[in-house]
Amino acid sequence: MEQALQKICGKRVTTDPFECAPYAKDVAYIPGILVHLLTNPVPKAVVQPISAEEISSLIKWAKQGKIPVTVRGGGSTAYFNSVPMRSGLVIDTNRLQGFSKIELSQGSNRKMVWVKAGMTWKDLDDGLRQQGCAVCSSPSSAPSATIGGWVSMGGLGIGSVPYGPVHDQVMAIRGVTAAGEIVELSRPDKGPVKIQGSKELGLQFNDMMGTEGTRGIITEIKLLVRDVPEKEEHLLAVFNSETDTGSMMSWLGGENFISLYNVHFSSPELIMTLQEAGYAHEISQGKYSLEIDLEGKRNEVDKAVARIRNHVQVLGGTLLPDEVGEEEWADRFKSLRLKQTLPSLQAAEITLPVSNFAAFYEGLSKLGQKSKTLCVTYAHLVSSEMALVMVLYPSDELNTIRYIADLSFISQIYKLGQSFGGKPYVIGLWNTPYLGKVYDRGERERRRQRKQALDPQALLNPGKGYNPPSIILNSYVFGFGMIMIGFFRPLVLKILKGGKGR
Amino acid sequence: MKTIEELREQIAKTSYICGSCGSCRSVCPVYREIGWESSAPRRKLALAKEVFLKKKEQQVTDQYAQRLQECTLCGKCAEICAAGIKTREIWLNLREELRARGMEHPNLTQMVLQIKSTHNISTFSNEARLDWVEDLDEVEVEVSKAGSEVAYFVGCVSSFYPMSVGISQSIVSLLDRANVNYTVLGSEEWCCGFPLIASGNTQQVTELAKHNVKKVRALGVKTLITGCASCYHTWTHEYPTILKGNLGFEVLHATQYLAGLIRKRQLVPGNLDVTVTYHDPCDLGRNSGIYDEPRELLQAMEGLNFVEMPHHREMADCCGGGGNLAAVDKDLSQAIAVKRVREAVATGATILTSACQQCVQTLQMAARQEKLPLEVLDVTELLWRSLEE
Repeated sequence: MEQALQKICGKRVTTDPFECAPYAKDVAYIPGILVHLLTNPVPKAVVQPISAEEISSLIKWAKQGKIPVTVRGGGSTAYFNSVPMRSGLVIDTNRLQGFSKIELSQGSNRKMVWVKAGMTWKDLDDGLRQQGCAVCSSPSSAPSATIGGWVSMGGLGIGSVPYGPVHDQVMAIRGVTAAGEIVELSRPDKGPVKIQGSKELGLQFNDMMGTEGTRGIITEIKLLVRDVPEKEEHLLAVFNSETDTGSMMSWLGGENFISLYNVHFSSPELIMTLQEAGYAHEISQGKYSLEIDLEGKRNEVDKAVARIRNHVQVLGGTLLPDEVGEEEWADRFKSLRLKQTLPSLQAAEITLPVSNFAAFYEGLSKLGQKSKTLCVTYAHLVSSEMALVMVLYPSDELNTIRYIADLSFISQIYKLGQSFGGKPYVIGLWNTPYLGKVYDRGERERRRQRKQALDPQALLNPGKGYNPPSIILNSYVFGFGMIMIGFFRPLVLKILKGGKGR
Repeated sequence: MKTIEELREQIAKTSYICGSCGSCRSVCPVYREIGWESSAPRRKLALAKEVFLKKKEQQVTDQYAQRLQECTLCGKCAEICAAGIKTREIWLNLREELRARGMEHPNLTQMVLQIKSTHNISTFSNEARLDWVEDLDEVEVEVSKAGSEVAYFVGCVSSFYPMSVGISQSIVSLLDRANVNYTVLGSEEWCCGFPLIASGNTQQVTELAKHNVKKVRALGVKTLITGCASCYHTWTHEYPTILKGNLGFEVLHATQYLAGLIRKRQLVPGNLDVTVTYHDPCDLGRNSGIYDEPRELLQAMEGLNFVEMPHHREMADCCGGGGNLAAVDKDLSQAIAVKRVREAVATGATILTSACQQCVQTLQMAARQEKLPLEVLDVTELLWRSLEE
């Protein structure tokens, strides 16, 4: 195997178990018993291609031997999105680096660049800023998340309010199909462009958006970029209740400020957790905070700031000194600092109508109180109507029984979210039982057909995004299991005196 | 030296906080060269958790030991860490553990023996510490002169390595020009111990620290200055801890002291019509928080066009010469340095400066290897040049 791969990638191949082992993990801790029951995650080989041609050869080679292929960027997701389900080959994209000269689109005068899939969002943004431009939006894990990775996921994050999901900023994609063909695909309104004999009904532009490397592998994208804004303002407003905070979020979404770039919510529990670790001392206990980031033309920003200041007052909130907002913005990629207080956490991430945010939060507080679970919540506004909400709660990865019992709380958060129009954000492996909550029956069937047409051997990232790959992850079996585990969870927490994690 | 239980406690405190997000990986100069996850800080921490917390120390493999020693201790992983983990201490303690297990890289073992025998990192006798003075025509350097205001701690690299003696010669020339009453320790100057700390031999630093502090105290100086970023970090961060108390005199990096002289107009820089950039040494910048004074010196020279590299101050890239990396893997160290000098050239600068003799040496070699049109100098060398011209 190694020799065959070396013929394609030279020394950028490893079958050494010491080197392959890290590719069997992502950011989430999952008890070994579950991992080994449901997956065989350690790849047989890892390769680091430097071109689409090499990836094409790798796919063709894997296809011959029916070897599963999992593509991996920063490995910064939490649902085994880029961890192999059935061992096989991992294509590590981190050597696909660099971006082209900034070009202007014909007609619309919009600026864009071709950027390779393995670059991180922060590196791209840093590089663009040297030339007076910037990315339109970025994930909150921008220092580690890669270009290809975020496009393959949900694509929501900082800057999504004005620019939408990253998928809206992608003008074209270069990639490799499950058959190993190299293709270049433009946005549908311009029609797909074939580079090499891609069959009709072959890989389409939308097949690459948010499909977690299950239909093709992204090697490069043509991305819209923006000019570095003339002015930035970062405000930190604090409120007394979730209702006032939710009203402010809805108002911000509804006002359609041209310069509104990002809105970030922190719950009192999150603030308290950060304060215990020595951060966020400017915020009084029990307050809800909203970081409001404005970027754009000077007069637009100034006008928006004046109106926001006024509305914060109307809702009984307070704006903290400017430097507090600026510091919060500077630390926007440091959300994991809460782990200094709560080292072992579990999490559920959902998209939710912002109009229901306050009600959801109230429901979550009740759920937390009832189950004696400290819920630490933060959220981003990702459009005028939607928020991306992250709920974290303490667990104990040193105690497998406790940890598995705590998994049931994720189901309860999803159920609560669903009652307010929310749904899980990404699928990966661990959210396959919730596919029915994310897509309706028709959409699920259409997705399955598309996968079957493009990757009939199911070689690309098998087990992710379509059908639960195990009876245990079947929605009914899993749902029943979670109810049962949830039933016993209070007892487990009581016996283990759990509640704050280790 | 920590006990294994203390080490386990420290690993527990850090490894469970780590979210494995990989921000550290993206900025780690070693990962950026090697490319495999095993070289990323997040993986090294995860392995520490797997091995030490599960009491499987016998599973510390040579591969893991090599990865732990392939680190420049640049601190960029801590700077960007999304969880706010201070990584330096854990890397150093893991190296201590490797040494205790006899898994130290043989070149580091050799270096430790060398320091023990000569009290410096070179093969020369410590009596030769002041050989660099012989090339100075107009400056008289006095050794262990009682009543001096300032003691200049030269550091091993710019005492013994011909490529670097220009730094010490420039510093004493500048002190002389500013009529500073200074002295040096000569053969009584011993290695500060930084290479021992970086190789996991902290307990051997105590003897060096005691000796150096005793000799400086005996001079009765108010201020100790050094041109070496690692010596500076050791004197300011390690010695007070090792000796459990205040040293009794102020310790400044040479750039801080010279900036003070310029502010007082005791030293007036000359003119230089060149474009210059500056490389923040990790031990002076990120690890000690000194960013402004070296830039102040550069900008004090009239005619000098100062340009920043894209990676500067807190986010400066490492030169590749830190953490004893060159002793463990010279090619890796050099590859990191090559990236840095290319970044410098891309700014349009013809001179790359730094404020660390090790950085200057490493970057000089990289610029020569790549045949780049780039001169690499210490800030103090450039400052002295401005006065000479």
